[in-house]
Amino acid sequence: MKRRRGSALLWQAAIVLAVVATWQWGYSHAGLKMLDPYFLSRPSDIWQQFLQLGCLKSARNEWVAGAAQFSECLARKDNNLWVALYSTLKNTFFGFLTGVASGYVLGVLLGRSARLSEIFEPLLVALNSIPRIALAPVIILAFGLGDTSKIVTSWLVVVFLVFFNVYEGARTVDRGFLNAARLLGASRWQVTSTVVVPATMAWLFASLTPAIAFALIGVIVGEFIGAESGIGRLIIESEARAEAAGMMVAVIVLMVVGVALTTVIKRLQDHLLRWQDRAGD
Amino acid sequence: MGERGPDAANPPRHAAPPAAAPAIEVRGLGKRFEVRGHDVEAVRDVSFAVRAGEFVCLLGPSGCGKSTILNMVATLIAPSAGEILIEGEPQPRGRVHPGVGYVFQKDTLFPWRTVEQNIRYALELAGVPRDEMNERVAAAIAQAHLGGFEHAYPAALSGGMRQRVSLMRALVARPQILLMDEPFGALDTHTKLGMHGTLLDLWERDHQAVLFVTHDLSEALTLSDRIILLSARPGRVKEIFDVDLPRPRDEVSLRETPRYAELSSRIWHSLGEEFRKVRVP
Repeated sequence: MKRRRGSALLWQAAIVLAVVATWQWGYSHAGLKMLDPYFLSRPSDIWQQFLQLGCLKSARNEWVAGAAQFSECLARKDNNLWVALYSTLKNTFFGFLTGVASGYVLGVLLGRSARLSEIFEPLLVALNSIPRIALAPVIILAFGLGDTSKIVTSWLVVVFLVFFNVYEGARTVDRGFLNAARLLGASRWQVTSTVVVPATMAWLFASLTPAIAFALIGVIVGEFIGAESGIGRLIIESEARAEAAGMMVAVIVLMVVGVALTTVIKRLQDHLLRWQDRAGD
Repeated sequence: MGERGPDAANPPRHAAPPAAAPAIEVRGLGKRFEVRGHDVEAVRDVSFAVRAGEFVCLLGPSGCGKSTILNMVATLIAPSAGEILIEGEPQPRGRVHPGVGYVFQKDTLFPWRTVEQNIRYALELAGVPRDEMNERVAAAIAQAHLGGFEHAYPAALSGGMRQRVSLMRALVARPQILLMDEPFGALDTHTKLGMHGTLLDLWERDHQAVLFVTHDLSEALTLSDRIILLSARPGRVKEIFDVDLPRPRDEVSLRETPRYAELSSRIWHSLGEEFRKVRVP
């Protein structure tokens, strides 16, 4: 098992290296003329751009020395990498949080009440069939260029995803568990809090990984359309200057952020759902 | 909840106080189902009573409606005709009498709770003080020989252990009336015999009124004071047998007594007629 894992890691490293090497040298090597750096940049340029956007190197390609120079640089570039990252992460977090919370509550409520689901399910299905991203300009118009519009866009893409998952989970809670709880003296509310909530946890977590990706998409799209700061805006700025390297820095940072957030959710899931599939230990 | 001390109240089983209402009384009970447009009569005009402290088995071939009767007593299914009295009172609509405990055929342990947390569930709902709760749960775990598995999740337990946890989850609330729906039906012969021993021990201490559904004649003879034999569908009371085997019983040696053999052959004859009716030609 350990050997297999080691060999998988080896393969992964080899593939990444091959891609990076082709990207770096493919265009200039032996007249291959693929992966034009004008559109795609190349790893060495992206790295330099990262150092400059991140205020680690000055525009004259000198290393930034000391905290004073660093903060001076941060103040000069109003949408430097760190400010942009902070802004995007913050809005993603709030969009994710509000989307998950409201989607979960809605899912449990409708899943447990035949009456409510009868009324609201068709409406939610209709709303869900709108490509939510199409509403982003409307939201910017209504909520302005600040954080609120990004959070609302993000919320809008997350809430339906979580809702439909949890709704399905809440409707299919094992009847045996519900009956057992009732016969052991649980009130309607206690049945919900002690049976429906834990029983739908697995469904909630199944939706969280796509939800975090969706939350990020919502914020980035919002920032494309109009924002004061953020990674999405960084991409648009670089695009306006035809700087492929700047765009690539933003994309790679987003990838790293996505991986980090997904890992956090996975850890949380392993802890909260530790009762699953534990036969034999 | 009326608690029965192990020694304080230990009434002879066939002589409940004359004025007291029976623990369970069923009068003219009937049930019809709609199955794919067909009207199916599952239970027809069933009447019987279970006295306080009495162990009664409902015995009959598969599909005779014995579980349906039990579920109507537990308010899980609404009757089409007749009435059910618990300690002389009809149960409020859709709410089970607080003195009734129920052990399911299907494993309904909450998989997200450990053994110990499953057993304490009913006490948590009732708001029993923590010290008393811990004491009662610890006693229940000891009685059911579950020591060492307090913090195991149900997925890690064997079928027999899971059913012991289910039993204690119902008994820890000290019900005066216990409804059991083929609780040992899924267990192998030896595990089942062990469970009979456990159940007989527990019952000798507290003498709950028990209504126990089974299709297994030897199980019914081992456990009960009376056997109510139901006919094939629609279920009606065919015959009632007094099981006058001495108590306390030993589940193994009991089967070697002549009286056991005599009762067994008499009831088997009557049961056999019903089995033949449902046999597919």
